[in-house]
Amino acid sequence: MLVGSHTWRHLRLISANWAGSAVRSGSGLVFLLIALVFGLSVAHLVLSPVEMLMRQERSQGRQVSRAEVVERIVEAGRPVVRWSLGVKTEVQEAETSPAAPDPFGRSAAVRRDPWSSFLLDERPALLSVIFLILLFGMPFVISFLAFNQFSGDVQSRGLRYLLLRTERGNIYWGRFLGTALFSTAVMAILIGTIALYAGAKIHIYSAGAMALWSVHGFAALAVLMLPYLAVCTWVSAMIDAPFASLVVAKLVIAGVLVFALVGKLAWGPAVYFKYALPWGVQNHLLHPEWSHVLGAVAACLGYAGVFLMLGHRHFVRRDL
Amino acid sequence: MSERTRPGGLTALAVINIVFCGSGLLGVLGMAALFALMGKMADEVPEKSRQQFEALQKMGGPRLVFMFGLSLVTSVLLLLSGIGYLKQKRVLGRLVGNSYAVIAVVSSLVRVFLFAPELGGGFTIGTIIGLVYPVLTLVLLNTTFKDDLAN
Repeated sequence: MLVGSHTWRHLRLISANWAGSAVRSGSGLVFLLIALVFGLSVAHLVLSPVEMLMRQERSQGRQVSRAEVVERIVEAGRPVVRWSLGVKTEVQEAETSPAAPDPFGRSAAVRRDPWSSFLLDERPALLSVIFLILLFGMPFVISFLAFNQFSGDVQSRGLRYLLLRTERGNIYWGRFLGTALFSTAVMAILIGTIALYAGAKIHIYSAGAMALWSVHGFAALAVLMLPYLAVCTWVSAMIDAPFASLVVAKLVIAGVLVFALVGKLAWGPAVYFKYALPWGVQNHLLHPEWSHVLGAVAACLGYAGVFLMLGHRHFVRRDL
Repeated sequence: MSERTRPGGLTALAVINIVFCGSGLLGVLGMAALFALMGKMADEVPEKSRQQFEALQKMGGPRLVFMFGLSLVTSVLLLLSGIGYLKQKRVLGRLVGNSYAVIAVVSSLVRVFLFAPELGGGFTIGTIIGLVYPVLTLVLLNTTFKDDLAN
């Protein structure tokens, strides 16, 4: 079935209007503040020890050694990266895997943990740590933006006036697209600010490396937001009350992860419950191999597609 | 005169203002307590906080009083403008809100030059975090909510 030109026009109109009025509605303003404060606070936590070290070196009249600073960053960042990626510690690896010569001549550390080595040694470690923490934390924040796409208008019966002028599907997809546009813009502002600041203040990595990895991190975050936005869209399409929609969205997003982590203590296979949402695949957006990255992108888009279709199916049939 | 419907964003801005006012006033109280006890605490400060304590003492009374005054003024302006947003008033909302935003930006920039690095001085990401809300307020009051604060 071909989509008519008036549908594209309606989608463009609704999505542009929704993205533009997100801040005016309140949810966009709250999301913008929380996302910026959270993201910049994470960056502050990661960057301030490095700045303090460089300041101390300068105050003692010593030339700041790039290699020493990078080594300190990698040493401090490795536990965070390993925890985020769920990689075994070196002690656990030594106990389970016997040492054997590597046919490719890689070091023991790289062989044991190529992913962490990629993030810390081959890419700007500071940005890698920040991105990993943001990948974990942003799904909890996104519900503040997307919880009220339909709930408030359905509750106030205001949506009926819009239905006189366009179809339900256009409203559904248009508002989702507008919300996605707004969240992408906020991620761009956040990552741009962090990258510019880190590049200007901490002259450890080249501008090219910082820029490329920042673009990759921004793209990872933008893609990651889509499935969680889709979950919130589905919940908002089902629940008429905005506050209830927010609570349910938060419970779903956090609950899946908590259930998987706590459940595995009682029953090992419960850990796979995290794959009900992208929790199990999202870190692969920062994987060294492109097959993993593209697979993670496809998975996120797949998740978003499934949740959106389920929400759309409900929205077009329900009483508004 | 018909009552304008207050947009959700303006209500959110008002609530955030009042919350920040509360935390600002708590900070002011903490600062006042610190100044009052500074002389007596000199011998009891733990080693890892000694650098910050000494930087605070080196700053001098007038600067500390100036920062104390700025914090108090911004907290009061936050409260007044929050009430102004809720009532959609032009003077109490838009004018006082803009005044808060300008003073808060100036206060952040003053902190950059006035405070020692041990006390959070110098331009850091903390400065950018401190500028987020005032800059957002300035932008929103003069663009998005310009026509809503007209009573």
